Amino acid sequence: MKRRGFLKTLLAFLGAASAASFVYPLSRYIAPPASTETSKTLVIAKREIPLGDAMEIVFNGVPAVILNRPGKGLVAISRVCTHLGCLVQYDKENKRLLCPCHAGIYDLEGNIVSGPPPKPLPKLPFRVEGETIVIG
Amino acid sequence: MWERVKNWMETRIGLDDLIRTQVTEYRVPKNINIFYTLGFVAAVGYLIQVLSGILLLIYYIPHPDHAFKSVQLIMHKVPFGWLFRQMHVVGSNLMIAAIGLHMLTVFAMGNYKRPRELTWVGGALLLFVTIAFGFSGYLLPWTQLSYWATTVVTSIPTAVPVVGDFAAGVLRGGEQGTGATLSRFFAFHVSILPPLFMVLVGVHIFLIKRIGISATPFGRQAEEKRPWTEYHKKSHIDGYPYYPRFFQMDMLMVMVYLAVMFALITFTPNLFFPEEATIPANAFKTPVNVRPEWYLLAPYQMLKLIPNKFLGIIIQLALFLVFLLWPFFDTEKEKNIMKRPLLRGLFLFSFILWLILMFWGRS
Repeated sequence: MKRRGFLKTLLAFLGAASAASFVYPLSRYIAPPASTETSKTLVIAKREIPLGDAMEIVFNGVPAVILNRPGKGLVAISRVCTHLGCLVQYDKENKRLLCPCHAGIYDLEGNIVSGPPPKPLPKLPFRVEGETIVIG
Repeated sequence: MWERVKNWMETRIGLDDLIRTQVTEYRVPKNINIFYTLGFVAAVGYLIQVLSGILLLIYYIPHPDHAFKSVQLIMHKVPFGWLFRQMHVVGSNLMIAAIGLHMLTVFAMGNYKRPRELTWVGGALLLFVTIAFGFSGYLLPWTQLSYWATTVVTSIPTAVPVVGDFAAGVLRGGEQGTGATLSRFFAFHVSILPPLFMVLVGVHIFLIKRIGISATPFGRQAEEKRPWTEYHKKSHIDGYPYYPRFFQMDMLMVMVYLAVMFALITFTPNLFFPEEATIPANAFKTPVNVRPEWYLLAPYQMLKLIPNKFLGIIIQLALFLVFLLWPFFDTEKEKNIMKRPLLRGLFLFSFILWLILMFWGRS
């Protein structure tokens, strides 16, 4: 390789390396910082959710709903639709969860009944301690 | 005195020469029509957006606790704040309409054909940047409608395996729409998109100037008979000078644009402000009537109709690429769409389908 060609290649390499050295800091900068929400527990009195009713909660920053289903007991499900992130609403009359954005329908277990959602709604861990429900 | 100042300036800038070569002696084809003015109209529309946007920046506060209130302040308390916000909102919609119509007429006249493939690609990118302007600006008032429409659109990347969640997180600045999302969209709207838009406009104008204006497709043009590798500027020596003839047409259409803008502001002031656009954002309640602006209704309705989320997004991505790279797909030499029944059918079918999806999405 001639001297001029070598210097050109070296300059191109150094330029590319200098530009590339900013890629990592830039990608880290624009990526969202790790969530500061700590895993807490949420305590709710059982009597606040009569049979057949639901209660909307926010657990660790995630909107969710606790359903008191006749014959099937309590369940805590995320309200964030797995299609495009809208919040599902409890349709008491038809016993289902309905997404207002693209008409995704889930049953009261969070399973898909119809519409475009690709996955069921995630369930939240909970336990019943006497007269209280402990989420998380 | 004035002459001396003029001569001093002329020696340094050469404005007379610039006006002579680019305006008074710049020739346009004799059979040019009114649709050729739409690019100029869109450029004027952008200028209006910049000026009204700067005025809105004086009072707007990009923070979730203050954004909605500051917009309400602009609308109800600041003298003539309503006027500049209406101009910005209505102008953003009209600008997209102007660029869309420009693309439509360029397509119908076959003016994207060689050697103007890159001019088309640049124009299509300008349309998408303008839509990105509209979309990023849509969130800024921090209303129920804007918040949830943004939630829906920023969830679209999650359909892509592996990197989808990361991409959605980058867009939102977190897992959900928060103040970080507002900050990002604000930065995108006022400092990333404007220089990108100006660069694309520069490239677009450079290509138009370098290659020359394409005449309407009546009979094959000499340039189409030349091989691809040979450069020859189309200068229209027998054409009309840009000024005053075509400039008058440009100004006429700018007047029409302004007339439509002020007619909409005057007679339909709530056209772009449905009820959900007057309620502050609530991250825990999705309203029933979430829908984006009219120009995104067709893809929004497509997402509703296609049962598989990944498939829905892949189809839209494929359609976007076909639109962007259309000159490379259409290699037929005939420019006149009236002599190409298949292309005419495809054009009408696509346009009518888009209209149906748009109105369906609105209902």
